[in-house]
Amino acid sequence: MSNVNVYSQRPAGTARAESPLFHAELEKLAGRSVSGAGVTLREKKLRGHLILRGDASDRGFTRAVESVLGLELPVALGLTAKGETSLQWLGPDEWLLVVPQGEEYATELNLREAIGDRHISIVNVSGGQTLYELTGPNVRNVLMKSTSYDVHPSNFPVGKAVGTVFAKSQLIIRHTGEDTWELVVRRSFADYIWLWLQDASAEYGLAIAA
Amino acid sequence: MSQVNRLTRGGRIDRSQPLTFTFNGQNYQGFAGDTLASALLANGVDVIGRSFKYSRPRGIVAAGSEEPNAIMQIGSTEATQIPNVRATQQPLYAGLVAASTNGWPSVNNDLMGILGKVGGKMMPPGFYYKTFMYPQNLWLTYEKYIRKAAGLGRVPTEIDPDSYDHMNQHCDVLVVGAGPAGLAAALAAARSGARVILADEQEEFGGSLLDTRELLDGQPAAEWVVKAVAELEATPDVTLLSRATVNGYHDHNFLTIHQRLTDHIGEKAPMGQVRHRVHRVRATRVVLATGAHERPLVYANNDIPGNLVAGAVSTYVRRYGVAPGQKLVLSTNNDYAYRVALDWLEAGRTVVAIADARQNPRGAWVEEARAKGIRVLTSAAVTEARGSTRVTGARVAAIDIKGFRTTSPGEWLSCDVIATSGGYSPVVHLASHLGGRPLWREDIQAFVPGPAPQKRVCAGAVNGVFALGDVLADGFEAGAKAAAEAGLKAVSGEVPRVDQRFEEPSLAFFQVPHEKSTARAPKQFVDLQNDVTAAGIELACREGFESIEHVKRYTALGFGTDQGKLGNINGLAIAARVQNKAIPEVGTTMFRPNYTPVTFGAVAGRHCGHLMEPVRFTALHGWHVKSGALFEDVGQWKRPWYFPKAGEDLHAAVARECKAVREKVGILDASTLGKIDIQGPDAREFLNRVYTNAWTKLEVGKARYGLMCKEDGMVMDDGVTACLADNHFLMTTTTGGAARILEWLELYHQTEWPELKVYFTSVTDHWATMTLSGPESRNLLAELTDINLDKDAFPFMSWKEGTVGGVPARVFRISFTGELSYEINVQADYAMGVWEQLMEAGKKYGLTPYGTETMHVLRAEKGFIIVGQDTDGSVTPQDLGMNWAVSMSKPFSFIGKRGMNRQDCLKADRKQLVGLKPVNPKAVLPEGAQLVFNTQQPIPMTMVGHVTSSYYSASMGFGFALAVVKGGLGKMGQKVYAALRDGTFVEAEIVSSVFYDPKGERQHV
Repeated sequence: MSNVNVYSQRPAGTARAESPLFHAELEKLAGRSVSGAGVTLREKKLRGHLILRGDASDRGFTRAVESVLGLELPVALGLTAKGETSLQWLGPDEWLLVVPQGEEYATELNLREAIGDRHISIVNVSGGQTLYELTGPNVRNVLMKSTSYDVHPSNFPVGKAVGTVFAKSQLIIRHTGEDTWELVVRRSFADYIWLWLQDASAEYGLAIAA
Repeated sequence: MSQVNRLTRGGRIDRSQPLTFTFNGQNYQGFAGDTLASALLANGVDVIGRSFKYSRPRGIVAAGSEEPNAIMQIGSTEATQIPNVRATQQPLYAGLVAASTNGWPSVNNDLMGILGKVGGKMMPPGFYYKTFMYPQNLWLTYEKYIRKAAGLGRVPTEIDPDSYDHMNQHCDVLVVGAGPAGLAAALAAARSGARVILADEQEEFGGSLLDTRELLDGQPAAEWVVKAVAELEATPDVTLLSRATVNGYHDHNFLTIHQRLTDHIGEKAPMGQVRHRVHRVRATRVVLATGAHERPLVYANNDIPGNLVAGAVSTYVRRYGVAPGQKLVLSTNNDYAYRVALDWLEAGRTVVAIADARQNPRGAWVEEARAKGIRVLTSAAVTEARGSTRVTGARVAAIDIKGFRTTSPGEWLSCDVIATSGGYSPVVHLASHLGGRPLWREDIQAFVPGPAPQKRVCAGAVNGVFALGDVLADGFEAGAKAAAEAGLKAVSGEVPRVDQRFEEPSLAFFQVPHEKSTARAPKQFVDLQNDVTAAGIELACREGFESIEHVKRYTALGFGTDQGKLGNINGLAIAARVQNKAIPEVGTTMFRPNYTPVTFGAVAGRHCGHLMEPVRFTALHGWHVKSGALFEDVGQWKRPWYFPKAGEDLHAAVARECKAVREKVGILDASTLGKIDIQGPDAREFLNRVYTNAWTKLEVGKARYGLMCKEDGMVMDDGVTACLADNHFLMTTTTGGAARILEWLELYHQTEWPELKVYFTSVTDHWATMTLSGPESRNLLAELTDINLDKDAFPFMSWKEGTVGGVPARVFRISFTGELSYEINVQADYAMGVWEQLMEAGKKYGLTPYGTETMHVLRAEKGFIIVGQDTDGSVTPQDLGMNWAVSMSKPFSFIGKRGMNRQDCLKADRKQLVGLKPVNPKAVLPEGAQLVFNTQQPIPMTMVGHVTSSYYSASMGFGFALAVVKGGLGKMGQKVYAALRDGTFVEAEIVSSVFYDPKGERQHV
């Protein structure tokens, strides 16, 4: 473990944190009632995001990850979740682990200890991305306006997650409940995606949840 | 005059809902359910425009998208002008304002009319090419008047107030067209559980079933349509799109549908609604049920208002409750057109006669007409129409088709409507968009879709299947087949019963012979929209344009918005007759998307205005905005360019910012730099291979500048990489190179060196980077950090971990300005708090925010390159004088080593990076200026390089530049001359590219 530089990147005290959508002042918008909103957006902000890389064919590695997280390491296009912790397949040797705010450092240490001296990589990207949760009967329409990927439940059931094109950008789409979807958005693109979503959902009514 | 042609009953219009509309400034009334065309006909409006070339009065000819004449300009305000709308496709709404696109200055008093009549003889086919191409410099003038006179609508000059968007659709089966075949196909596919999209360009589903006389299961066909649509609506995963034209059939079964969501309500969409939507459909299987267009016959003066395609007359009578006249003459070569006469009779109007080109027609429809007492003339056709702005008579003569001549002088019949039918042309446009050539079928005298690699099935009339019962069966079978091919279980189903009538074959009959030769007879129009006549096609063939593609271009046949829907086959037949060939030998022209015109708004969708392109922001953007920064686009990023104070321009602000950094301390938001986290036991070896310099000895805690080359040895990217731990590095890349370099690393890892144990992860967005630069930066940072900043404890080119402003940070002591600098990296969520604390604590040190412009000046003073500005993909490290950053002794080699050792790359007179100091200290060389060694030489001069970066340095007090100069590194002290556009030269001395603090003492303090 001394071979890598791991430290807690989140301040322990009360330092102000600004999520990627901080400037949009969603908490103020959340107060407004939108009757019959077809889409409700919430930023699941400031979570711990870790990129995990390792050899999926190494049972020792997968067992170690599963024992620390209590989650099965998902296979292609899969997403497993328990409570606020989720683990998503990104590629043959790459996963996205999302944990509650502030747990990322301890989680990384636990994972590194359990995995031992295998060749892996764990990278904290918590400041670099955020989650938009979209719920409501018209979310699928908004997604259809935004991505050429087929979001019909027969092709995109709950528990599936894909990285794909979105408007003129890219992001990860996760189907987390029948009418609930999550977008994993990179910080610098957060405003563009937010503007796009406001526009695409205007005809269905957009509500903001805190 | 109010709706003189409106029938008292019948049709699918709602007579309880009158709607007022305006055409060419005059008010009219129609009913809900009308199209603009049916409402105009109901009001007895004969002339709806003037023709393209000859400016002849024109009326409505058809009832669907094949209408060639009724091309309208819609809109009551400037911003809502919509050009080139077919009146036959525009639903009527209250307050609709329409005008002719043609007929300048007005349809009834037409200057061009006189010109056209006088000039008609002077405007043979090809007149664009023959007349207007020379002299070339007058073309712009010609074009202005031609366009004005030529029946093209005008675009609005104000911004479109509406919004348009795109929607991606996926389905098992896309059914194009909701006539009998399409509805049956959709039902079959839907019953099998397929995801089905049914799209139809019309206002309501049903197609020909909405106006047919035929019964389905003994009931009016429209009742079956209601049931079929209800069933489809109730089936899950069936998407019904009306007012939706499938306009393009593209590769991989990707089709585009243009849906008009609100054009039936008004010229502008209601608040919050989208006006047009483009559905981008990816279909596993496609059923093309696009139907057929009826072909008119080609005879003299066939363009006078009152000449209609036969089926359109039935459509107006039965669907819209409009009989566009009183006395009908029908000219046909087939049985099915006889129904038009029956419909006309039922509407209480007079059928003067039916002229049938066949010798002895005895089909069921024919006998029914005879039984009703209608006069039927055989071996006869309408050879000529009479009238000026309305048909007043039709000349019916006996004809010999084989001999192409009339055999009697004929008889003039008084009438006001001439309906003609020359058979049915399957709508093969979509089937042919991908290049599949249609096939000629002699038995039905029509082209049908040919074989194609696309996964599609054709059904109904487009397939050459015309009888209603057969059409329904063909459609049902096609739907079931498509669903089965898409992997679903086909279900059997019943097709409604039709009392099939016996029909005799039609006759090959296109242009009607006239007693005079084609060239001398009155004009016989083939393509009404483009004013192409039979004589024009004859002339083109005579002049040697044998290929139909050439005939098309020479005559304009099938050009423009029309795409030959009515005229193409007749044109082909005439060319075939003149050249004495069979029609399939003449071939057919290409069909291209779009089938009907699409608004630009729909093409753009939401990718306009603030959503045109993604814009990327750093975590500190809000502060920059509040502080009055002006921004520069760097890739998709917005970076602060400079922070002007009141009254400052760019130069004043940059001079102030530069001075602050050189004398006190400045702060830069460097968050956009690409950052890649590299982990693994082979990370160091990987760096050795992708960078030109050596990484073996870089200690933990240290950082090093690296150059990356492509295989050809040319510089591709640069940046500082730090060793965080033995198996852990943090690489930085240029802002624009971040994504590309990560892909480059992955590419080499995955394809060339998979055995190296290393992983790469982008952390560009995770870290916010704040650069303190200037002599006071150490004192300032010391106030907020627990890191020991002592120059020996924290030397240049090393990094430390600690807190800054209470936030965990990695601080890198590296410099892009040549001054003492610290790059503070914190998790982006906490950057704003740290930045604000730095600004607060920095007040007493004169801390000054600076932007990219100041950064550029300061780095150029130090001779630090910017990849992409001072390099252009043809510059080696040696050309940059950076041999110190290349290690030729690395054991494995590195990317670019071979390339940079090619003979050409070792030449002494390659363009090399040097500094230029203008002799006049006030002069600033223009970036990009070409350099010469000698101004006394003939033009074109021998160019020896160009200026890559150039600024005025406030701290040095003179202008300076970086440039590439042939053999420049060996020419220190010599003169070059920058050639300016005005013919003057700026003299400059070749100097070292490092202008400021050449020993680098300031960054080491």
